[in-house]
Amino acid sequence: MNRKSPVHAHLAAIVAAVLTIASTTPARAAQVGAPAPDFHGTDSTGKTQSLDEYKGKFVVLEWHNHDCPYTIKHYKSGNMQSLQKEWTAKGVVWLTVISSAPGQQGYVDAGQENTYMNKMGAQPTAAILDPKGEIGHLYEAKTTPNMFIIDPSGKLIYAGAIDDHPTPEISDIQSSKNYVSTALSEAMAGKAVQTPVTRPYGCSVKYW
Amino acid sequence: MPSLRQIVLTLCAGLAVATAGAVPVEGPVRAQHLTVELLPLEGSIQPGGSAAVGLHFTLDKGWHVYWVNAGDSGEPPRIKWTLPDGITAGAMQFPAPRRLPLGPLMDFGYEDEVLFPITLTAGSNLKAPSTAPLSAHVDWLVCREVCIPGKADLALPLQVAAQKGPVDPTRQALFDRFRSLLPQPLPASSKAVFGSTPDGFAVALTGHPATNAEFFPLDQSQIVNAAPQPVRAVDGGVEISLKRDENLHAQPAQLNGVLLLGDGTAYEIHAPPGPLPGAAGGVSTAGLLNLLRFCSLAFLGGLILNLMPCVFPVLFIKGLSLVEASRHHHSRVRAHGLVYALGILVSFWAVVALLLGLKSGGRQLGWGFQFQSPGFIAVMALLLFFLGLSLAGMFEIGLTVTNTGSSLAARHGYAGSFFTGVLAMVVATPCTAPFMGAAIGFALAQSAGAAFAVFTALALGLAAPYVLLTFYPAWMRHLPRPGAWMEVLKQATSVFIFGTVIWLVWLFASSAGVDALIALLAAFLLLAIAGWILGRWPARRVASVFAISVIVLAVATPLYALWKFPPTDTNSARLGTGASRAGWEPYSRAAIEQYRAQGRPVFVDFTARWCLSCQVNERAVLNRGDVRRRLRDSGIVLVRADWTKHDEGIASALTELGRSGVPTYVFYLPGQPALLLPEVLTPSVVLGALDQLQNRPKPNSQALLEHQP
Repeated sequence: MNRKSPVHAHLAAIVAAVLTIASTTPARAAQVGAPAPDFHGTDSTGKTQSLDEYKGKFVVLEWHNHDCPYTIKHYKSGNMQSLQKEWTAKGVVWLTVISSAPGQQGYVDAGQENTYMNKMGAQPTAAILDPKGEIGHLYEAKTTPNMFIIDPSGKLIYAGAIDDHPTPEISDIQSSKNYVSTALSEAMAGKAVQTPVTRPYGCSVKYW
Repeated sequence: MPSLRQIVLTLCAGLAVATAGAVPVEGPVRAQHLTVELLPLEGSIQPGGSAAVGLHFTLDKGWHVYWVNAGDSGEPPRIKWTLPDGITAGAMQFPAPRRLPLGPLMDFGYEDEVLFPITLTAGSNLKAPSTAPLSAHVDWLVCREVCIPGKADLALPLQVAAQKGPVDPTRQALFDRFRSLLPQPLPASSKAVFGSTPDGFAVALTGHPATNAEFFPLDQSQIVNAAPQPVRAVDGGVEISLKRDENLHAQPAQLNGVLLLGDGTAYEIHAPPGPLPGAAGGVSTAGLLNLLRFCSLAFLGGLILNLMPCVFPVLFIKGLSLVEASRHHHSRVRAHGLVYALGILVSFWAVVALLLGLKSGGRQLGWGFQFQSPGFIAVMALLLFFLGLSLAGMFEIGLTVTNTGSSLAARHGYAGSFFTGVLAMVVATPCTAPFMGAAIGFALAQSAGAAFAVFTALALGLAAPYVLLTFYPAWMRHLPRPGAWMEVLKQATSVFIFGTVIWLVWLFASSAGVDALIALLAAFLLLAIAGWILGRWPARRVASVFAISVIVLAVATPLYALWKFPPTDTNSARLGTGASRAGWEPYSRAAIEQYRAQGRPVFVDFTARWCLSCQVNERAVLNRGDVRRRLRDSGIVLVRADWTKHDEGIASALTELGRSGVPTYVFYLPGQPALLLPEVLTPSVVLGALDQLQNRPKPNSQALLEHQP
């Protein structure tokens, strides 16, 4: 634009403006009811993980930060581990995603993550290391934990909190309604997810 | 010496804390990164009366607790009371928060200090005097980059007394400070509605004039919290644009939230869908009056423009032709005056139409945007250089005195008058800002009709002196007789014109780079050759055709060079960019939000190299020794937003401030609305604003200011 004549510059501006209006919204972040964006990442065993390879299966994405009190609530209580065990046994792919940037709270390298998972007895299908926050930004993950469910056709069917008690108190888990389990049960029974969007709670994802 | 009983009690208390953690503590409790306390305002409560208490947090620097809607992450503090019979506690009230940006996320909360007022009510059967043992379990989440949950059991022994006791003035001031930030219900005289926009909603508040506003949603997942919220003035109020949350599919029945206005007023609004007051200037009388005010301001501005260095040479040419023409028939002269006015009007309208068209297309442009295009600058420079050659006497073109004067009857002369009008408008642009900033900003934020009205007033103001002269030929008698002096003056005018050319070349070089600059200088040479041909062989068809071809070649040369050697950063940086000057940071919205979130005051200088008044302000005021020292010593973050080249972010920041162009100077003080300085700066204006900054501590900013060196 800078290098053309003013007339051209203005014409170009008008054309650009018209095109902006005419074109539909560009590729947007994850939106419930729409196809979930594909991603590629490396897990803690060095294997490449992508969403596309799990077409045909339910996929759960769990945003994770082992030092966040809200994540601790669900790991110290064993709640997250039992969810992982229960649903992976039913054929669900459970991907833990760590988007903390190096130097930020929750950042781990592959070895540290494997040690952590061993110690806690965590059993996700894989733990993806996303230190650049690419997958996090793609899904606009806001908190840890922030949960997403993708159905076998690749559609995002749930985005939000893990349950309805936004506290760091382990004692609250018992009386909580778990949104992830509810949504997975409904979807597996061929029903529509009754609560497809909730406000995720927890610590902010430590991007940048 | 503590008695055995005291020791046992202390031990028991310690054991109780260790096991149950539930022995309420009176007074401030120090927890990680904050101190929390239950503060009574009055210290006693009357049977059948009420008393105010506050949950008071004092936070470590950089740490925050959250508003009732914490935003993208975080949780608000919660309180659970244990109350004796006869006393009830109302809900915890949340003062208006501030935006806390966190990378791509946006939280809403409080830094430094916050007090949540709570009202206690006593039954009339309460015995007085007695002591009511109140306690509360409080939990919270305190965050900086990391979040730490905390809890405390706080005790508040409240006296039940028949009479109110005295109130500590410091305590009263603390309560007042945070009560003033509590969202008020919307008064009956105001109205809030929301409407849909292409990417979300617009909330309009009428009945309360404001220039700035922030919207804090009370409902989750309706808007994108982190999205900027552009604000514009509408009839009798403000309109704020919000971005819709991707996952919101149904239109909400109402938009609930808190609207924090620029003057510090916070309203809790429950906006139903409704027609936006739009910029349909003229619907309400207030709007019409406002429009009239801005139109008269614009007219006045247009008048003053005639005296500006940008316009004066053009006007001077026009004035000379008037003197020349005064011996001709008056009706002809009058017609020329009108055509000149028409030239100004049409060119103003054309630019406004273009601006409005681009605005509706979503592009942010401001007044003076033409000067962001190096191609435009090149053409302007060539035009003025050619005009200068002609004025210096090298040749005669239609624009010049003799031609206009000698062939008044010819249509050619009218074209010349019209073109002079266009030229006056074009060269006037960079001078418009100092006087016109407010009116133009208003106009561009308004409906098309209002914008055209304001610009028409501006154009008429610019044309008025000349048109008046042509209409009152009697006044012309006071003008000197035509003579040889005119030729001398005409040549002298060319000096001004060449001065303007130098300024344009500087602009061109700084945005287009050195390679393209050579092409522009070569084009000047070509124009000089064309001028020589026109002067050497006047009125020869072949010569004229040849000269015109050379002129076309001259115009094409720098444009080709711009296309061939696109400006690179290093290329143009060699000529020095204003933004990198010591002590000033380049503009970045994220950085400013970050500083504001940290509670640091920020000063932003919106400037451009093509803006003469910006240069004057910077050299004469901002760079003056005492002002510079004071700015530096106040610990203010200095940001220079360089708009020389088009920058969408800066343009939208200007729009949010209600301005459309540069210069614009703004102070962002912690916990306060943006403070705009006038477009014409003096050292006392800047120093006065700094005094204000240091003398007017407000909630949230007080703690910060005490820490300033």
